[in-house]
Amino acid sequence: MTISSRFRRVLPLFAITTVLVGAAIAPPVVVVAHAPDPEFSGALWAQDERLTFRWRAGAEPPAVMKTAILNGAADSNATRASRAATFAYEASGASPIGYGLHATCSVGGLACFTRTAPSGGFTMWFREQGHAFDWGSLRWCQMYSTAPNGCYDVQTVALDEFGHVEILDHHVNFGDKSDYLDAVVQTVSRTKPSAGWDMHTYGRCDTATLQKRYDMQTWSAKYSTCLTLNTALTLSASPTTVLSGASTRLTVVLKVAGADAYGRLRDNPVSNRTVTLQRRVPGSTTWATVGSMAASATGGTYATSVTLVSRTEFRAVFSTPAVEGLVGSVSAIVTVGVCNRSCLLTQPMS
Amino acid sequence: MLESRWRRRLGTGIAATAAILAIASTTLGAPAAEVVVPPACAGDGPPSASPRAAAWYRLDPVIDAGVRTGQRLEIGRTGGPAWSVGLDPESFATGPFHGLVVMGTDDGRRSTVSVADLDRGCTTVVATSRDVIRRAVLAPDGATMYEFRVGRRDRADLGVWRRSPGSDDAQQVLEPIPADPAFGITWVTDLAWSTDGQALVVSSCGEAACRIRVLDTTTGRVQTVADPTLGGFVGLADDRVVVRGACPGLPCPIAAVDLRDGTQRVIADAAGLATLVADENGQNVVVHESDASGGVLRTVSLDGVAGKTFAAPDGLRPLVTLHGSGADLPAGWLVLGPDGRLPALPGKDARAHHLADGQTLRLDEVLP
Repeated sequence: MTISSRFRRVLPLFAITTVLVGAAIAPPVVVVAHAPDPEFSGALWAQDERLTFRWRAGAEPPAVMKTAILNGAADSNATRASRAATFAYEASGASPIGYGLHATCSVGGLACFTRTAPSGGFTMWFREQGHAFDWGSLRWCQMYSTAPNGCYDVQTVALDEFGHVEILDHHVNFGDKSDYLDAVVQTVSRTKPSAGWDMHTYGRCDTATLQKRYDMQTWSAKYSTCLTLNTALTLSASPTTVLSGASTRLTVVLKVAGADAYGRLRDNPVSNRTVTLQRRVPGSTTWATVGSMAASATGGTYATSVTLVSRTEFRAVFSTPAVEGLVGSVSAIVTVGVCNRSCLLTQPMS
Repeated sequence: MLESRWRRRLGTGIAATAAILAIASTTLGAPAAEVVVPPACAGDGPPSASPRAAAWYRLDPVIDAGVRTGQRLEIGRTGGPAWSVGLDPESFATGPFHGLVVMGTDDGRRSTVSVADLDRGCTTVVATSRDVIRRAVLAPDGATMYEFRVGRRDRADLGVWRRSPGSDDAQQVLEPIPADPAFGITWVTDLAWSTDGQALVVSSCGEAACRIRVLDTTTGRVQTVADPTLGGFVGLADDRVVVRGACPGLPCPIAAVDLRDGTQRVIADAAGLATLVADENGQNVVVHESDASGGVLRTVSLDGVAGKTFAAPDGLRPLVTLHGSGADLPAGWLVLGPDGRLPALPGKDARAHHLADGQTLRLDEVLP
């Protein structure tokens, strides 16, 4: 009996496939498909921190790869859509980027990194052109004058690595991978000419996590559509009672809701959006639009003055926008009274 | 006749496919004399491991204008002479196995596997194949070799094969691992031994996650750990497979999977480099860096019980054998080197750290 035949017989009897739930290794928070990227372990960098890197002595990438890595760093800076760290090359930069060796890489993969936030810097390695894997030899597109099919784009892989250094772990895709382009930080890299092989911007689910962890660059900036953030509108009137024919100033503050799950985005003022003021006669069920409220200088604040001749109920409406990940909201109703001079004398002014 | 066949193959194997470079031995404690190509081993039998022999190796890509043109294998007897062997771009080295280092090289038409006996200072061709032999390891007794192959044309997994070194007869002991989209195509298949030398570990890794098959070489029993949240293999001891999470970088959790019941326990939440060694009491422990940058080492039992915390001597990092270097050391000792690898010539920059008393010595001062 040959060894192989004996094993074929034994295998079904003894082989056990231990398919584990993975509760211990997997992130503690269940990440559903199409959600913001999961987070890698470790602390964050400071907001807008400038992380410098250099080429690792004795293991410098070839010139064409250096250019692509620099472009990947620039892509990260330009498309982070948040206050995540930025990357800059300096000859004496703090963090080395190497080529060819693989001391800290796992056995698979095109490239790898280490991160020691907030103060320990990072490392990055790219495997060398021609590195032999079980499936064949690694080909980087940038190493050819005309990139062949089956090559990997250095700039895309570099952007993936810089995303990891920020805090991002691999995006969890739908089973059919139809949302692959929602993230450049992916478990499985794609080769030319598959869709996504040359993504040079963060995807919306990459920036969603960067926004949650590092916050927005401005209160006017758009929230990633990979997020679903509830908002809160707080409407007030001053004064709350006016003489007939006089005006009151209605002010509304639009904020991201105060949920802990929103990370740094919770309670953020939301500026330069369209907030609509509506009015109705008390007792009516129909609202009439007064108009858009003007954005004021204070973050998330909008205001409008309205002249009244009768008691009126107001509310502010922020409709769910199609271009960002905010959920619309409606303020509580504010009633403004109207009366004559003797009435004002007996009613407190707000 | 085995002897003549080995000699004949050596001539057309390593010697023909590899440029052999003579280097000066700079290993501390060794005579600073120029050494020459390891000659073909004389004698009638296959190379044999010697419990008292100690060797080291380091494998590096040779890169010309950004392209891998070959690999350079540095091998030596600890405290003794060293050699530098040029290999093809697709090549490997494993071990050491009590003074023996296995090296394989593929010239695009044929794979040749040789064993370097560093104690005797010679090499023997032990296998050739028209398939691509991607990895090979010797059993602890040196009498059996296991090899992983892929097809030359289609690079298809051909499974794991066993042979006596020097024999043409190889028998398949593990079938190709079946495709599984949860892991993707296999990037690297690695072979390693349990600490007791009874089980062969075959890790088949996709771009991030790995499947691990454990073959009991005595009974033929195969157990498989297949969890897409698990990554690279660290070690196997006491019926527990120690693995990393399927992380793209470091830090990364380390888990112990009990082969008896499949339970999984995280024994380090965010570790840097890690290795499995026996401590002074013969207990198997994982030694890992406390974070991705190194500097502080911790020991933890396979049950997750924290042990010692100590500073890494001279900022060195624990050697990770799957990263292209290795050294023979007695039980209870931890090998340390720059960046978690042996230096090309492991002189003063390699250390052996005794877990029991914290003593740190040069590598050549600690012989089995």
